[in-house]
Amino acid sequence: MGHKTFSHAKLTLNSNQLSQGIAGVFLFMAAFLMLGSLVFPTNAKASSVRPPANATINALPENSSPQPAPKATGGFVPGNTLGNRSQTSFWKSVRDGAIGTRDTMQAFPSPLIQSQGQDWRYLRNNYISRYGGWLLIGVTGLIALFYLIRGRIKIKSGRSGAVIPRFSLTQRVVHWFTAVLFILLSISGLILLFGKHLFIPLIGKTAFGVVASASMQSHNLFGPLFIIATLTMFFVFLKGNGFKLVDLKWALKGGGFFGGHASSHRYNFGEKAWFWWAIILGITLSLSGLILEFPWLVGTNMWPLLAGLAHGGAALLMIAFAIGHIYIGTVGMEGSLEGMTRGSVDENWAREHHDLWYQEHNKEATGDHPPAKAQAATSKG
Amino acid sequence: MTFLEFVEGPAWYVAITIFTIGVLWRFLGIIAIGRRTDMSAPKGSASAGFVKAIFRHFLPRTIFAERTRVHILGGYSFHLGLFILLFFAAPHVVFIKAHILGFGWPALPRWAFIIAAQAAFAGLILLWVRRICDPVMRQISDWDDHVGTILTFLVMLTGCLALQESVEALRALHMLFVNIWLIYFPFSRLMHAFTFILSRGYTGATYGHRGIVP
Amino acid sequence: MSTKTSAPTQTAADQAVSKFLEYTHASTAAYFDACVHCGECAEACHFYLSTKNPIYTPIYKLQPMLKAYKRHKAPLSSIKRLFGLVPEQITKQELEEWSPLVYDSCNMCGRCTLACPMGIDIAFTIRKMREGFVAADIVPGDLRQSEKNALETGSPMRVQAKALQAQVRAQEKDCGIAIELDKKGADYLVILSSMEIMGYPEVIGSLAKIFKEAGIDWTISTKAYEATNVGIQIGSWDTARTLVQRVVDEAEHLGVKYVISPECGHAYSALRWQGPNLIGRSYDFEVIHIIELLHQLTTEGRLQMKSKNGRRLTLHDPCQIVRRGGLVKEPRALLNDVADHFEEMQGAGITNFCCGGGGGVSANSRAAKLQASAFECKMQQFNDIDGLELIVTPCANCRTVLEDGLEEHDSPLEVIGLSELLAQHLDHRQT
Repeated sequence: MGHKTFSHAKLTLNSNQLSQGIAGVFLFMAAFLMLGSLVFPTNAKASSVRPPANATINALPENSSPQPAPKATGGFVPGNTLGNRSQTSFWKSVRDGAIGTRDTMQAFPSPLIQSQGQDWRYLRNNYISRYGGWLLIGVTGLIALFYLIRGRIKIKSGRSGAVIPRFSLTQRVVHWFTAVLFILLSISGLILLFGKHLFIPLIGKTAFGVVASASMQSHNLFGPLFIIATLTMFFVFLKGNGFKLVDLKWALKGGGFFGGHASSHRYNFGEKAWFWWAIILGITLSLSGLILEFPWLVGTNMWPLLAGLAHGGAALLMIAFAIGHIYIGTVGMEGSLEGMTRGSVDENWAREHHDLWYQEHNKEATGDHPPAKAQAATSKG
Repeated sequence: MTFLEFVEGPAWYVAITIFTIGVLWRFLGIIAIGRRTDMSAPKGSASAGFVKAIFRHFLPRTIFAERTRVHILGGYSFHLGLFILLFFAAPHVVFIKAHILGFGWPALPRWAFIIAAQAAFAGLILLWVRRICDPVMRQISDWDDHVGTILTFLVMLTGCLALQESVEALRALHMLFVNIWLIYFPFSRLMHAFTFILSRGYTGATYGHRGIVP
Repeated sequence: MSTKTSAPTQTAADQAVSKFLEYTHASTAAYFDACVHCGECAEACHFYLSTKNPIYTPIYKLQPMLKAYKRHKAPLSSIKRLFGLVPEQITKQELEEWSPLVYDSCNMCGRCTLACPMGIDIAFTIRKMREGFVAADIVPGDLRQSEKNALETGSPMRVQAKALQAQVRAQEKDCGIAIELDKKGADYLVILSSMEIMGYPEVIGSLAKIFKEAGIDWTISTKAYEATNVGIQIGSWDTARTLVQRVVDEAEHLGVKYVISPECGHAYSALRWQGPNLIGRSYDFEVIHIIELLHQLTTEGRLQMKSKNGRRLTLHDPCQIVRRGGLVKEPRALLNDVADHFEEMQGAGITNFCCGGGGGVSANSRAAKLQASAFECKMQQFNDIDGLELIVTPCANCRTVLEDGLEEHDSPLEVIGLSELLAQHLDHRQT
C-alpha cells in the first residue's frame, strides 16, 4: 500500500496525497514519541511535535558555553550589530514562522525563518538519540540476562536426524539479501546518529567528518535497495503470517520461553509480530528515507524534519527487534539457524516449537493414508 | 609521501604489474598445457564452435530457469553494473587518462553512477547470500569464493564511500583495496573473468568438431 | 601415456594422481580455473534433482582431480604453495569414498554442460578422472568384470560368436532374408551391442529388411561384432583402445567402406569420436551411425515408409548420440515419416534427460538404488505426455533401462528401437 502511494506521489509532486499517505505511517511514530514523553518526562515540555519557540532556548545545553551570553536589556542589543535596538515583537513573529516576502530567493511569500529545525534538533538529540541509545543497551542487556538465566534453548528430545523443509530458497535468498542491507544500513545509520558522541572523543572531529561523510554516502546508496528488499520480503513471507487465536494463547504463555509449552503453526506469535513490525517499520523507514534522500519530492520543510524523526525512531525500534531476532535465530535456540541456511529443520525442533505446523506437514506428507501418529495428533488438535 | 601518494604511486604500480603478469602467466599457462589434436573425421568446424560457445553461454537455457533465475538476475546486475562503474565512473575515466592510457572518454553523470552502483551491489549481495543459503552452493564453495566476493565488495564500497570526492583519506582507502584486489586476482577464482573464454571455447571446439555446440 | 608404467613404490593414490595430471589437458585446466561454484550444474543433473542431495552436484564429483590439479599443475600454484594455499595430498581413502560419486552418480550424459555458464564439459572430465581410479584400482566390481569379459571374449556379456551365429540364423528364418557373415568387400559392416544380440535380436532382422529394401550390401563379422566399449565407461585408455582396435582391424581386413554404429549411445562415441584418438590414427573407412544412414536413405528416396504408426509415441534421446553426438534432427525426421502422433517430451533434443543408465551405471549393481531414483526425472517426462503409448529410442542400453524402470513403476508403456519401428512400416507386400 505504501508503495502504491509512493508511485502515485511521484507523478504529482508536492501533492496532498503524498502528505496524507505518509501522515498515516507517521501517526504511529508520533504515538511513539508521545509515549516516550509520557514515560520519560523531562523538564522541557515537548508534548507536541511543535513545541513553543522559546523551548529551543531552554534546549541549549547548559554547559555549552562557559560564559553566559550577555543579556539584552530594554531592547538594547549587545555587541557590534547594525543598529542597537531590536524590534522584539517583529523578530518574535518572524521567529514564530511569520509569512513574508524576501528580496532574494523566492518571489512568493513563505516563512522567513524555519525555526522548526531547532525543534527537530531538540527532539532528535534529547529523545531519539538518548532513549534510542538506552533502548539498544536495554534490549542487549535483557537478552544477556535471559541467556544467563535460561541458557541456550536446546532441542529437548535431541536431534532426530530427519529434516523437514521450512524456508524455500527464494525465502532464504530474500531474507539474507534484506539482512545484509539491514546490517550495512544499521552500521552507517548508527554512526550518523551516535557517531559524534562515540567517535569524536576517540578520533577527533576531522576524522569523524570523514567517517560521517562515508557513512552518509553508503547509507544513501544502500537505502533504495532496502526498499526493494522490504517489499519483496512482504510478499515472500506473507503466507502464514496472519494472526490466529492460537497466537493469543502463545503470547499468554510467554511463548514457552519461561517453561511450559506454547503451540504454534508455521510461525509463532513472536515471529508474526516480528514480520509485521519489520514490514511497518520497513515501510516507515523507506518512505521517510526517500523524503530525506530526495527532499524536493515534498514541498515544505516540515516533511523532511518529520521524516528525520520518524526515520531515526523507526530504525532504532527495528534494530532493537533485530537484536532479539538475531539472538533467537543463532545462539538463543538450537536448530533455528539451519532453517534459514539449509532451508530445513530437524523434525524434533519442528515438533517442539511449531507442533501444529509439524502435524500439518505430516498430514500432507503422508497423503491419504495418515499413519497412527499423525491421526492421533489430529484428534488431539 | 602521503598515504594517498603511496597507494596511487608505487603501490599501484606494483599491484598492476603483479596483476598483468599474473593474469597473462595463468592464462597462457593453461593454454601451454596443450591438448591432443582430435583425429576423428570432423563433422563441423572446431574454431567456429569455439567462438559460438563463448556467446552461447551468455544466455541460460529456459529449461534450467528455476535455478538460473537468481543467477541471471544477480549475475547480470552485478557484472553489468561493475563494468559500467569500472569504465565510466568519472574519477575512473580521469584516473585511466592520467595513469594508464593517456586519453579518456565521456563519463557517466552522477545519477547514472549511483544506479549502476546500486545494480552492482544488489547483484553481488544477491549472489553472495545465495552462496550461503543454497545447499548446493554451500557444498561446493571454498574460502576463495568468499574472499573474492568480500574483496570485490570492499573495493566497490570504499569507492562509493569516496563518492563525495572531498576527502583524500577515502580515496586512499579505495585505492588500497583496489591494489589488494589486483594482487589477489591472478591467484584466485576472480580469474574466471578471463578463463571463461577458454572454458567455453574448448567445449565449443570439442563439440563443434562433432557438429553440435552444447 | 597408454602403457602401465607405474613404479612399484608408488601408492595407489599416487598412481591416481599421476593419471589425473596426465589427463588434465588445457581444456580441463581451463574448466577447473573458470568454475565459479555457482552450482547451476546441479539443476541439470537427474541424480541431484531426484535426491536433492548436494553431493550429487556435478562439479563436486570432480573434486579429487581438481585438488590434484591445484596442488601440482595449476599455473601459479608454486607461489600459492609458499603460502600453504594449495589443497592437501589426496589419500586412497578419499578416493574410495569418492568412487560412488564418480561411477554411480554420473552417466557422463553431459546435460550439466548446457546449464553451466562457463560451458564446462564435466562429463568428459569425469571420463578422464576415471582413468585415475582405474590406475588406483578403485573401480566397481561389476565394471571390472565386464572389462575382463570384453577383453577375454570380445563381449562384456560373454556373448560368443556361436551365439551370434545362432541368433542370425533365427532371424534369417523369421524374416526370410539371407544374411551373409564375414563377407569380404561388402560396403557396410554392421556391429552390434551384446544387449541387442541377446535381448533384442529382432534388430538384426529389421536391419536385413531395411537394407534389402534400400539395396545395401552389408555383412556382420564373427570376429568383431561387439560395438560397446567398456573401456570408455570404466575409464581405461588401454582397454578402450584394444576394443576399438579389434573393430578397426576387422573392418580394414574385410575392406568395407563403412562401419555402421548400432543403436547404442556410447558405442557411437567410442568408435566415431574417441576411436581415432585412442588408436592414434584416422581410419580407412567411415563410421556412420545407423540413424544417419537411415536418414540418408530416406532423403535419397531409397527407403520409403509404406504405412504409419497410429500410436501416440515419443522419442527418448540417447545422450551420446544426440547431445554429444550431434544427431538431433535425424531421428526426428525419421520418426515424423512413420508416426501419426509423435509428441516431444519436455526438454526434448539437446536438453533431454538421460535414462539414468549410461556411463556404466546400468552395468554397476552398486548403483541400482541411485539409478532407480534418477529414473524419476525420466518418468516425470513420460507422465507429462497425455495418452503416451510408445517410447522410441535408438539405443539398446537406454531401451533396457527404460523397460526396467517402467516395469518398476507398473507402467504399461512400451519401448522400441528406432530401426525396428521403421522396419515394421516397410510393408513389402505393397511394393
